[in-house]
Amino acid sequence: MHKAKKVNVRNVIRLVFLAAAAAAAVAVYLLIHSHPEKPKLFHYILSLRIPTLVCMVIASISIGAATLIFQSIVNNRIVTPALLGMSSIYSFLHTAAVFVFGTGSSLYLNANLSFAVDLVTMGAVGTLIYWYLFRATGHNILYIMLIGTVLSSLFGSTQSAMIRVMDPNEYDALLTTLVADFNHVNGEIIALAVIALAAIGFLLRKELKLLDVITMGRDQAINLGVDYDHVIRRLLFGVVLCMAVATATIGPVSFLGLIVANLSRQVLKTYKHAHLIVGASLMGMLALIGGQLISQHIFHFTVPVSTFVTIAGGVYFLYLLLVKKGAY
Amino acid sequence: MNVQDLIKSYGHKTVVNEVSFEVPKGKVLSLIGPNGAGKSTVMGMISRLIARDAGVIQFEGEDLSKWKSKELAKHLAILTQHNNVQMKLTVRELVSFGRFPYSGSRLTDEDHDMVDKAIAYMELEDFEDRYIDELSGGQRQRAYIAMVIAQDTDYVLLDEPTNNLDIYHASNLMRMARRLCDELGKTVILVLHEINYAAFYSDYICAFLNGKIAKFGPVEEVMTRENLKEIYNVDFEILNINGRPLTIYY
Repeated sequence: MHKAKKVNVRNVIRLVFLAAAAAAAVAVYLLIHSHPEKPKLFHYILSLRIPTLVCMVIASISIGAATLIFQSIVNNRIVTPALLGMSSIYSFLHTAAVFVFGTGSSLYLNANLSFAVDLVTMGAVGTLIYWYLFRATGHNILYIMLIGTVLSSLFGSTQSAMIRVMDPNEYDALLTTLVADFNHVNGEIIALAVIALAAIGFLLRKELKLLDVITMGRDQAINLGVDYDHVIRRLLFGVVLCMAVATATIGPVSFLGLIVANLSRQVLKTYKHAHLIVGASLMGMLALIGGQLISQHIFHFTVPVSTFVTIAGGVYFLYLLLVKKGAY
Repeated sequence: MNVQDLIKSYGHKTVVNEVSFEVPKGKVLSLIGPNGAGKSTVMGMISRLIARDAGVIQFEGEDLSKWKSKELAKHLAILTQHNNVQMKLTVRELVSFGRFPYSGSRLTDEDHDMVDKAIAYMELEDFEDRYIDELSGGQRQRAYIAMVIAQDTDYVLLDEPTNNLDIYHASNLMRMARRLCDELGKTVILVLHEINYAAFYSDYICAFLNGKIAKFGPVEEVMTRENLKEIYNVDFEILNINGRPLTIYY
């Protein structure tokens, strides 16, 4: 048996273990201190926990997939869409919508409509910006990083400028939808988020199969018959939308994508994106659900999950840069 | 393959200016010339890696841009120097990618046969389970050539394949290019810096100067003192070894 096949079998086993661990985390999260002996309380607790859980699962899948796809497009594994300002573009667009139409408009009051508008504008604006960046710089990742960082602060400052001139009441209302976090997830949009993710997966099914070849670099991909520019544009569109879904459901979690994508690559040691994406999604679930468990039951909500993720992510990022020097 | 009036400019600088030539089928053709003469850009355009500004590239009777990329990948393979794969990939997996235009990621028995043959042809059996980032430059280059062989195309384009290789590996690689033509009947087009490799291993030479073709023809016709002086602006001595013209310059 060839090594490649052995690696394949090994990875399937590892993924099954990961899935089992994620399932266990889900069970613990739902059932811990849930007082099943008091049915009313039990139902109430579950009605609080299930939307949070579903949002975390949706976010894990979108962040894992978006980061892996993006890294493979740019052929660099310490870059994440969040670092390039995709989350801040989302916050900017969301704020701009409220700023222009006001919190009294149906655009704001109907969470699903608001999310749909966010998805459309984000899909259009994000894809345009990053696609243009790719073309203008000739896929030079250093330039894209630099411009992405600048864009990130540009959109961040523009957003805060808008907030400053906003009516304080409107700002207060905006903040609850803008800064989603794990303790008040955006539960209303779950159905739409799931539909959006499924639609992305369906629309990009052909392109996703090309990811393995895309990772070989532009020249090799074209040599092997990939319509490169077209495929990259569509994949970027998918990445931008996934980031929008993740940011809308649980808010910006900057380092999560970096951690799960790299852990997945490190554990699975393969180029097969079918495995890598599943691995990253499962690790995302483990990280978020585990973090939420610690935050809820050990720190009693005094420390939010994003703090753990940021601290762990920062350390891991330094480890990747300094110890592994960007290699596997 | 027939190239007519190919033009490419970057900003105000025209790097390829009305280049026309016909690629002799089933032969080895080397593109040579000083830095910036346009040879690599021409190679990029005839392999569809670089978009052309103007001109026609007829490939098997149809314009190159009319070909479906996937269909073209079964007829024409290009190997460039930009091959830093950032992933864990064994030699065998790399070679298997050569079958991607035919079967995608799900290889048939026939594909596996082709991969086996390509690995055997490049004598990579001992390495086939090694990761390519663990190989030396020469071994890695052989793995990529094996991938091109597995791709099973009539045309094989190699852009500066001897770069970064020592003399042993470079001359082996040139012999391999020759074998691809003689044994497998492929049309091989190379971009080369080392003119003696071009002179010794190819049938035809196309010499570029300032974005135009300075000389095009069989090796013996192009490799003369006058021609080389004109192209490189350096004095050459031409020797005859094994019936092939070889140059000395310093």
